[in-house]
Amino acid sequence: MASRSWLQGKTVKKGGAVGSNGHTRPTTPQVQSTSTTIFGGGVKDPSGRTAEYFSMDDQCPVCKSDRYLNPKLRLLVSSCYHKMCESCIDRLFTLGPAPCPICNTVLRKLAFTPQTFEDLGVEKEVAIRRRIAKEFNKRREDFNDLRSFNDYLEQVEDIAFNLINDIDVPETEKRIAVYKAANAALITLNLQREEAYALALKEQEEFERHEREQRAAELLREEETERAEKEKERQEIIDKLETSEKDAAKLIAKSRANTLKRSSNRVSSMSRLGLGVDYAKMLKTRSKTASTVLDVPHVPFQDNWYSFEDMYVLKPGGYDDLYSETVRKDREGIMRGGGYRVEEAWERALRFAVAGLDLLPLEGLDPTSEGIQIEPSLVGGDIVLAS
Amino acid sequence: MSSASPPATKKSVYEGSTQFKNWRYSPEKLAHVRSTLNQAAVAVIKRTFEAYEPGSSANVLFLTADEEHLLVKHYIATITQLCSLFRFPEEVEATAISYFKRFYLKNTVMDWHPKNVMLTTLFLATKTTNNPISLETYTTHIKSTTASDVLDLEFLVAQSLGFEFSVWHAHRALWGVWLDFQSLPDTAADWPQAHRDAYETALGYVRASRLTDVEFIFTPSQIALAAVSLTLPEESYKWLKSKYPSYNAVETTVNKIKTIIQSLSRPPDVESVREVDRRLRLCKNPEKIVGSKAYLARKAEQEKKAEEKRNRKAVEAGEDDPFGFELGRSTIVDDDDDDDDDDN
Repeated sequence: MASRSWLQGKTVKKGGAVGSNGHTRPTTPQVQSTSTTIFGGGVKDPSGRTAEYFSMDDQCPVCKSDRYLNPKLRLLVSSCYHKMCESCIDRLFTLGPAPCPICNTVLRKLAFTPQTFEDLGVEKEVAIRRRIAKEFNKRREDFNDLRSFNDYLEQVEDIAFNLINDIDVPETEKRIAVYKAANAALITLNLQREEAYALALKEQEEFERHEREQRAAELLREEETERAEKEKERQEIIDKLETSEKDAAKLIAKSRANTLKRSSNRVSSMSRLGLGVDYAKMLKTRSKTASTVLDVPHVPFQDNWYSFEDMYVLKPGGYDDLYSETVRKDREGIMRGGGYRVEEAWERALRFAVAGLDLLPLEGLDPTSEGIQIEPSLVGGDIVLAS
Repeated sequence: MSSASPPATKKSVYEGSTQFKNWRYSPEKLAHVRSTLNQAAVAVIKRTFEAYEPGSSANVLFLTADEEHLLVKHYIATITQLCSLFRFPEEVEATAISYFKRFYLKNTVMDWHPKNVMLTTLFLATKTTNNPISLETYTTHIKSTTASDVLDLEFLVAQSLGFEFSVWHAHRALWGVWLDFQSLPDTAADWPQAHRDAYETALGYVRASRLTDVEFIFTPSQIALAAVSLTLPEESYKWLKSKYPSYNAVETTVNKIKTIIQSLSRPPDVESVREVDRRLRLCKNPEKIVGSKAYLARKAEQEKKAEEKRNRKAVEAGEDDPFGFELGRSTIVDDDDDDDDDDN
């Protein structure tokens, strides 16, 4: 269906099919028009995936013709955001700038755009923001601190809001002009940057696509050779079986082994060629992004207590005793599940065995022997709980 | 001393323990503490007797410090029996006995009967050594015991212990000594298997030592070494030599412990205990016997004091400023001055 073609973003021969041609003078050039070729505004979408807005209830507010009367009805939006049908636009504006039949703003034919959003308010906002973004394209790097960047964003938002809601339009326009004049160099620089970025992105995409295609072709070729080889193999076996007097089973087994060897060779060479390169590339990008975290050596907690470490040595092979018997026999490690280490129990016992072994018992009724003796050096500074 | 002595700047962890700081006595000091405690208790109880029935204390034979200690010793043996009934680990038994003995270094038998204190210390020990048991199971397995018998004294016991629940035990030191014997040079591979019985015997000596006062005088490692040297003298000698090239001082200490264990570690004779207990019934602090005149009087007095305190608080609270006006009132406030100058 011809009326469908513009929905899919394809070329429509403007006024070609219907009688609107009759209104135009024969000298009017026949333009191959698409939404992107004649109309400047609207949502530009080179991929053609964005559909023009379309509704069964469309009716031209100027000539009141609707989809029922004219199935090919196409409504376009003026720069003052009023809709009218193509035939009305042709009728009113072909002869040059003319006032809008709804709001009397002077309009030109080329200033009509196809509609993308149902709500014209959204349409307007998108168009304005697109325009603003082209000029106010400073980045975070262009500012010394976050504060000034935020101020700038605020100012941009202000301007956008004013334009969208028609507040102080002339003054706002003046502000834009002033800004543009002041930042011309930066604006072009940023534009170039954005273009470069888009180009890089495109190149990358292109490269990846190319690689995919190559991989597919490679695979196809592999398959082809494999099939050919198999065919050859079969033929060979049949020939040999015909001519030689050797054992048939042996012959078949030998040729099978040969095939297997060759195919494994092929697989290894392929993985070396194709996947290896890919992995190397991936690793390169990974290593660039991953930030290395330094592993600081562990410094054990220091305290001011002596716990008889030099008085015993834990026997390397472990001990043979009644209490640890079940733990030592536990091969599956069920008992060690919670982090229990029998060595710690042993060490504690050994520490008890040597703790204060040389302490002499107190004698007599020495008053200092009773009560608390605290060395001043230990008060406050020690961490170990008295046990 | 030896090369093994600690660096001068550091203090050993054992010397940082409350056991070392607060529960280490000389034998003389121990006797002194017990006798002064006993004298003070007797004096107080006598006064109470006289206050309610003048002349009634004249023919009461109060317990001596030794008799008190005899009773305590008897109930230590009871703790052991209870522990084997409940199959409590060694740790619980040792801890309960330590608590029990420590309690009676701060309190007298005539105030708190050891039967109840024993139940409380054992229950407390199950909790502090992380072997908890429900109070219900605990009381139902002991004849004619209620929950209040166990819990009433719990805070008092904890307070008497100074809330120092951690104890360094000799049986753990014994285990360590036993393990370290295996590190001695030229120890046969089957040594541990062959000497299991010796270990059990040594553990028996450690258990016996709990009936004596050694834990207040010596360190757990010394007690363990004494116990093990009673069964394996040769290994003990070698081990001690490996730890301290000049081991004479330690050996003397260990020999002292050996003598104490061998002579004093038998539970007291039941007849004499019964005799002491019978007399205890007559000389108990009447203020602590529920239902007695003195008990009621004391209760009333406590009530009165509490009432007074409440009233005083109420009066204080009733005054216009809850933060106290006394400071401002006691000084002469000059109207011309700033607030800053109030205090001159």
